[in-house]
Amino acid sequence: MSGAANPVMTIDPSEEDQDKLAEFESRIADGVLIEPGDWMPQAYRMGMLRMAEHHANSEIVGALPEGEWITRAPSLRRKLALTAKVQDEVGHGQMLYRVSQDLGKSREDMLRDLCTGKTKYHNCFNYPAPSWADIAMVQWLIDGAAIMNQKTLADGAYGPYVRTMHRINMEEAFHFKSGEDMVLTLMSGTKKQKAMTQEAFDRWWGPSVMFFGPHDKPNCENLPPMKWRMKTESNDSLRQRFVNRFAPAALDLGLVIHVCQKDEHGMVTSKTVDEQCRLDETTGNWGVTDPDWDEFFRVIRGNGPCNAHRVALRRFSYEQGAWVRRAIAGGATTLPPAA
Amino acid sequence: MTTMQNMLKNPDANLVLALADDLLMLGHVQGDWTGLGPILEEDIASSSMAQDDLSHALVLYEHLGAHFGIDADVIAYERDIADYRCCDLVTLPDEFDWAVAFVRRWVISHWAAPVLDRLTKSDDQDLAERCLRLRAEQSLHLTYLDDWMHRLGSGPDEGRTRIQTALDTIAEHAGMVMEVPDRDLADIEAFCCGREELFNEWTTAMNVVLEHAGFTMTFPLPALDAFGGRRGTHAPHFHEQHAEMTEVRCADPGATW
Repeated sequence: MSGAANPVMTIDPSEEDQDKLAEFESRIADGVLIEPGDWMPQAYRMGMLRMAEHHANSEIVGALPEGEWITRAPSLRRKLALTAKVQDEVGHGQMLYRVSQDLGKSREDMLRDLCTGKTKYHNCFNYPAPSWADIAMVQWLIDGAAIMNQKTLADGAYGPYVRTMHRINMEEAFHFKSGEDMVLTLMSGTKKQKAMTQEAFDRWWGPSVMFFGPHDKPNCENLPPMKWRMKTESNDSLRQRFVNRFAPAALDLGLVIHVCQKDEHGMVTSKTVDEQCRLDETTGNWGVTDPDWDEFFRVIRGNGPCNAHRVALRRFSYEQGAWVRRAIAGGATTLPPAA
Repeated sequence: MTTMQNMLKNPDANLVLALADDLLMLGHVQGDWTGLGPILEEDIASSSMAQDDLSHALVLYEHLGAHFGIDADVIAYERDIADYRCCDLVTLPDEFDWAVAFVRRWVISHWAAPVLDRLTKSDDQDLAERCLRLRAEQSLHLTYLDDWMHRLGSGPDEGRTRIQTALDTIAEHAGMVMEVPDRDLADIEAFCCGREELFNEWTTAMNVVLEHAGFTMTFPLPALDAFGGRRGTHAPHFHEQHAEMTEVRCADPGATW
């Protein structure tokens, strides 16, 4: 997750009813799922809302880079699979906005906040996808990372979010299989296809390793996000698991793992083989050069290659569809000025 | 003569190809809306219909492919532009106007239903069985789209005006759905029945819905010799859409994707 400071870390739990807080924490420790009507600390409610809203935003913004390739898919079956995949992402967004609505924020407010830049979405969708092979990489690497992350979120404590994660993960598994099949097909193909795939891999390997967020704070297991089982595994642990799974898989496919320099458009300008990327026989872990965290925070602050484009397209779609929402449901659907 | 030419010269194949190409291009232009619809739930439903249209095109290309020994993707992607039989309406650009996209789909779905009804009675059993399945799914589209037309018709003036404007725009192109794909077919009365009968069935079904919703749309049956997309004379926007659709596939001809 990325974006502004999470309320769960900034709201002081000592201001809560301490008896109710103790009972809440005891239920979580016992593995009881928290439901929308249950008492919960304000920090937990706000933190879960922010998490679910961010996740919902990520789904519908994540639909954009892949959606741009539906009209260019190179076979009918790929076209069908990609359309269905993008549709799934929209469906995930719909489910997650419903979870968020139960926590106290209307869908209209959430969509408006997304379109005005008040709320964020996952950082990885601020990178470009200029070739068909990029779509393969998004489905293989990004959906692969999402599954790893979301499997741990499905072990969380907030009932509606946990149930939604279970359902989303089933569909994400299909997306991953589709991506794996696309990468395998491309890497078994012509020289041109292999070169296109390596270029796309170079663009997406870095954002994929950064997918799980920056290094954890010390003692993160005892801080509210993990203590209250909003998340159940640290960023560092998830990132290591991802590298252990995908670094050897990429090498097996004939891909080379590079450390890349990119321009402001997210295109690779120079690259060197990642000498750190090798198996440590002692730990069983694969090494990887630490990502450029300056880039990570630069993109979060809105200065990535595609931030403006993604938000502008979402806003355009929101504005163009306002009359349909008025026609069907009524209500205010206009936007405040651009942020 | 190549297998592709054999198919293109066959009058029966051209009838199937006309429907398949309509569904291909409808799925192509409507699929482009996935992720950008005005309401999440409608976005999801619209994308499902686009996927149905693409699947139906695939089912029909596979039928033709089996008869003429051509891969379905080759039929879909690798013909010359003049050999596509889609009508002008399915490729009409919507300029990201949901009303135009909605009415375009509604009109084509209403046209596909009676055409599929006739094809389910084809002497070609394989084609008849395939079309029976397609007809059932297109019925679901009609139920959904007619319901939307009713809801929009009973809504505020803003939406009603937009839909009526879109109907007026679409009406200028809708008649050419009835364009006969090949001049020789005039002799055999296209689509297994009288052309006028099909036109009346199609427009009557639409008018029932429009009247209930408070909208109007009228257009004449074009002359038999009217020509456009079905005879390969496509508008410039189809050339652009075709170039986009085949961009990746043509980037490395012969490659497996």
